[in-house]
Amino acid sequence: MAGLKDDAQWIVLMGFIVSFSLFFIAIVLNQSTVVGQTTAEAVLEFPKNDLREVRDVVIQSAYMNDEGGLFNNKTNVQNDIRTLSLSRQNAVVSFSNTTSGSFTYGEIHYNNGVMAYSESWTSH
Amino acid sequence: MTCEKNRNYCTAGVSESIGFLLIFTMVIAGIGLVTLYGYPMLIQQQTSADDQIMQKNMIVLQNDIKSLAYKTVPYKETSLKVGGGVLTIHNSAYTPASSEITIYTDSVNTYVNSFHSGDLLYTSVSAGTDISLQNGAVVMRRHDQPGSIVLAEPRWFYDDQTNTVVINLVNLTSKEILSRAGVGTVQMALGDVNYTKNDIAAGIPIYLDYSTYINSDGQDYSFAWDNYFINTMKMKEIVPSTSPFPLLPQMKRKTYELKMVDPLRPVTLVIKQYEVNIRSL
Repeated sequence: MAGLKDDAQWIVLMGFIVSFSLFFIAIVLNQSTVVGQTTAEAVLEFPKNDLREVRDVVIQSAYMNDEGGLFNNKTNVQNDIRTLSLSRQNAVVSFSNTTSGSFTYGEIHYNNGVMAYSESWTSH
Repeated sequence: MTCEKNRNYCTAGVSESIGFLLIFTMVIAGIGLVTLYGYPMLIQQQTSADDQIMQKNMIVLQNDIKSLAYKTVPYKETSLKVGGGVLTIHNSAYTPASSEITIYTDSVNTYVNSFHSGDLLYTSVSAGTDISLQNGAVVMRRHDQPGSIVLAEPRWFYDDQTNTVVINLVNLTSKEILSRAGVGTVQMALGDVNYTKNDIAAGIPIYLDYSTYINSDGQDYSFAWDNYFINTMKMKEIVPSTSPFPLLPQMKRKTYELKMVDPLRPVTLVIKQYEVNIRSL
């Protein structure tokens, strides 16, 4: 056992440390793909534009009246909004509006199974 | 030390060949142990990795179906690697179907009659699992156990404010039975979409029959769907079944009553049926 030099044992030690840390990094990386995917989906699923579009047309329709023709008639347009939301966006939309004096106010409710949104709005 | 003083005494009984043999035996024993225990462990790891990758792939495919159905995207394509098993499409005309759904209030007012969803099925013999994409949900079962679980739920929902129930049924079609192992591209296109909106008077219960074939090569996901109906959709199981429809002897059936959000108000029952055509796997 003469002349045995043991001042390079840190190389072996480093080998251990590096391999164990690689092992843990591999586990973390493996999980991160799943987490990243579900997060990205959750962001994509949120129907921001659908909601804005529906809100926009609902408020536009509030200023219509029933005196127009078949395509310019408030009741028809509002029924179309409900039907189109259901068939194209898979969303249940319900709304109502009232005009009194110079103010128009109403309620909008939107639900597509992922999220539900309710709003009361008043014109200025 | 003694060694330095008396070299002969120190090396007595030490042989180079015996030392070599000892070291050689240790090396061979090490290799042997790694081969015997390590290799099967590696294979097992590979199988479970394949299984997990496929679970994720099926959720990706479910997302494709969601885009087709709920966002009216006309066409979707996904490349994926099917490892450790086979991905097969059983279209909705395939028998025995994995399930049959009927929705009704009574024998006259039937809103959906014996709906077959078809399914995209991944079977792995090595991992002992089946993962199925059916009716917009991803369900999974183990070959050695009778139960099954839902990995990703379908999008059925109640809207409290309007007292509406929305049920989405996805019908997978394909020209023929296709299957794939290895790297492939799943091409899906949106087919016919139709929806019915039914107004049902207050207090009338709506029932759903979920039937499975008894002899369906183990393709029985009724536990998973039972869990979904009862725990997520808060339906109530009717035992024994009060279904007015005749039951084929090779089938078993469970009847559920849909949850009434508000029994005092009329219910709107919306049933949407999407046809998703699998062009290739």
